Amino acid sequence: MQPSVKSLSLMPASWRLLALAVAVSAALSAPLARAQTEDYAEVNRLMRAGQMSEALSKADQFLAGKPRDPQMRFLKGVIQTETGKPADAIATFTKLTEDFPELPEPYNNLAVLYAGQSQFDKARAALEMAIRTNPSYATAHENLGDVYAKLASQAYSKALQLDAGNAGVAPKLSLIRNLFAADAKGVRPTTVAAATAPAPAPAASTRPATATAPAVTPAQPAAPAPAAGAAQDEVEAAVLAWAKAWSSKNMQGYLGAYAQGFTPPGGQSRKDWEADRRARIVPRNRIDVTISDLNVSVNGDRATARFRQGYSSDNLNVTSRKTLELVKSGSRWLILRESTGA
Amino acid sequence: MAGWRTQQRGHASVPVVFSGGGLRPRRRPAALWAAVVGVMVTVALIGACVGREEHSGVVMEPVTLAAAATAPAAAGGPGTLLDSTLAKVQDAARDLVLPRAADTGLERRPLAEPAMQAMLPKLGQAEARLIAIYQRISQGQHRQALAEADALVRDHPNFHLAHLVHGDLLSVQVRPVSQIGDVPDTKARAALEQLQVLREESRRRLRALTERPPEGYVPTQFLTLSPQSRHAIAIDASRSRLYLFENLTPAHASGALASTPRLRLLADFYISVGLQGIEKQVEGDKRTPLGVYYITSSLNPKSLPDLYGVGALPINYPNPLDVQRGKTGSGIWLHGTPSDQFVRAPQASDGCVVLSNPDLERLLATVQVRTTPVVIAPELHWLRPETLDAERRQFEQTLQSWRDAKVQGDLQQLQGFYSSRFLSQGRNLSQWWPRLEAEVRGNSNGTRGLELKDLSLLQWRDDQDTMVVTFGEVALGQSRGVTKRQYWARENDQWKIFFEGNP
Repeated sequence: MQPSVKSLSLMPASWRLLALAVAVSAALSAPLARAQTEDYAEVNRLMRAGQMSEALSKADQFLAGKPRDPQMRFLKGVIQTETGKPADAIATFTKLTEDFPELPEPYNNLAVLYAGQSQFDKARAALEMAIRTNPSYATAHENLGDVYAKLASQAYSKALQLDAGNAGVAPKLSLIRNLFAADAKGVRPTTVAAATAPAPAPAASTRPATATAPAVTPAQPAAPAPAAGAAQDEVEAAVLAWAKAWSSKNMQGYLGAYAQGFTPPGGQSRKDWEADRRARIVPRNRIDVTISDLNVSVNGDRATARFRQGYSSDNLNVTSRKTLELVKSGSRWLILRESTGA
Repeated sequence: MAGWRTQQRGHASVPVVFSGGGLRPRRRPAALWAAVVGVMVTVALIGACVGREEHSGVVMEPVTLAAAATAPAAAGGPGTLLDSTLAKVQDAARDLVLPRAADTGLERRPLAEPAMQAMLPKLGQAEARLIAIYQRISQGQHRQALAEADALVRDHPNFHLAHLVHGDLLSVQVRPVSQIGDVPDTKARAALEQLQVLREESRRRLRALTERPPEGYVPTQFLTLSPQSRHAIAIDASRSRLYLFENLTPAHASGALASTPRLRLLADFYISVGLQGIEKQVEGDKRTPLGVYYITSSLNPKSLPDLYGVGALPINYPNPLDVQRGKTGSGIWLHGTPSDQFVRAPQASDGCVVLSNPDLERLLATVQVRTTPVVIAPELHWLRPETLDAERRQFEQTLQSWRDAKVQGDLQQLQGFYSSRFLSQGRNLSQWWPRLEAEVRGNSNGTRGLELKDLSLLQWRDDQDTMVVTFGEVALGQSRGVTKRQYWARENDQWKIFFEGNP
């Protein structure tokens, strides 16, 4: 359902206001809209800085005057999500879906929260609503794909009477951080469950083709130490080999690229992580991983590789920033840590 | 930082989000279309396999995986083998020159045919719903199939095959599914046996559901069935299938002792047999016996362990033929399923026949103890009951001759009807004979005739022809008599009695 002129007349007054605000702010002409935009920007800034309680009070302050404002309520939901208050966040987003059923984002984030609580049926229902609301909503499609895969895995476990205990990790769904953002991929992987995770990495644009001006590309890591050229070449080769093994679904090569001491994300055990990776990689018909903007810094037997990773498979096409921390083990460079985001 | 700024930008670019120019907006319709194409290709590819299977008759390979799996790839789309399995079944029904499946007398029907809809009420409810889901899949209605599968597993959380199909339907939303139970490798390795068992269950159900007995046809064993037996059961082990009939055979017309049987198929259910299969020989061999049996009692479920589910109907294994052949063991029942399972694997029991609890409940509510025959065959063969008229008349004459000899008190002639292998209640013929002699004298002294009524003839053919004969024996002028059961064997083209007693 798309907000066209036709549907405008059916909208509740508040939604019309919202539409108006958006239109106006797009034109960047009305002082009111600008003021609001500045409020959103300020809350965003505080969130980015990790000043969550300040962000929350700022949002609450704003909402005291405009209790129905969807954008700020949405931000508040995001803050609640990121500060490990899933029940509050669920309440916030649920209320948003009730007040603004046309918006897919709150449904999407509800799904993320439900998935974080392993309530995958609810997550699925919310995402199906998000898609019904906006059939071309890519993030919701991707999240739904992950939820379907998870539900399928659970169904198979039930069918095969496998212990639900080893049902593995929750899929990492993408949280939307901002209403009315261009359909940006949320940050993948941001686990809601991992509330202790550092402030979530910013989203990478999904569309390399979009005019993501060079100005907005993430700042290059500050002055990478000029490393010995040889070591740098070795690390680059290791990263490319890793991407190649991944692309060719060479699980031995892929998993072998990780060091013994590799820390799987989300506190997973190595075994579970490997199983998870296999389950994600092996069934794909086609995987294509590309590396660009590769930047390597070497420090003794440690190295950091930062790059833009393009991943495309049967049903997914994402570009994201990735950082690999590597350790030299014998003659090989192996991955110690893998993180997404700048 | 990029993301944030991009999003700030996005804040002002609402039209982009809503304009429908999304990133991958048409993915799903495309996938669906590709699936349809994939299936069409697979159907063409599979036609050949079906033709081959016709000659083998019994075994349908678990789908020609290698051949079929490559087809969707060739079509460049995620065609599913689940689809093609069904397509194959339909194809089989459409293109076969012979309308009958091998020599079983069964009629092949595509799943989607209206006649199939008429069949659904005959199935256990859960199976009917599963089949409806298969039908949806075969018509490419994956979303609807998924919704129905959601509901089915919600209502029957212990129906493992339903979970498997549910998993496939969820998976097909995000990736191609190349076979029934297309589980990820890690899981497949962890439970390979269970996976194969579920695929086999699916295969057997589909087979039983697409190869149907034509209206009015009866399994060959039922030569005639007395109205005393209000119901009858026949089990086809090769299809893991139990058929429940209502007996509509009219009381014998004047003159004719044995009427043409009229059996109406009430329902048919998926069943499991012994872990080691069929043809029970000795105690503990975990096999299900083959032969003609009767239900002997109904056990109180309250006194049964959970393993047996909602109840149990013991049958008279070993019957006199089994005893004659030195078979051992006991306690063969038709029973239900433990609470954590909806059904059991096709081969799972210690020799019992296992039904789902809802299906067993239907049996418990329908059949009668002692008068309900249970035929357990490796494979049932179905025919129009009139086809057996000659055989029926022939045996009826033999039986009449036996009766005549008994009425006339011609002991020598009577003895000719008895086999040298006779064994009843531990007595051989010479030990049994005085008893029969006394009976004959008692009868023929007053030159009273003997009337036979309520005749049931159940024939069993393996390396010998056996007839299980049940009838009421009433002295003429009396209103009541005794019910007798005899086992006859064809020895050198002569029918001989090797057991006689009361059921």
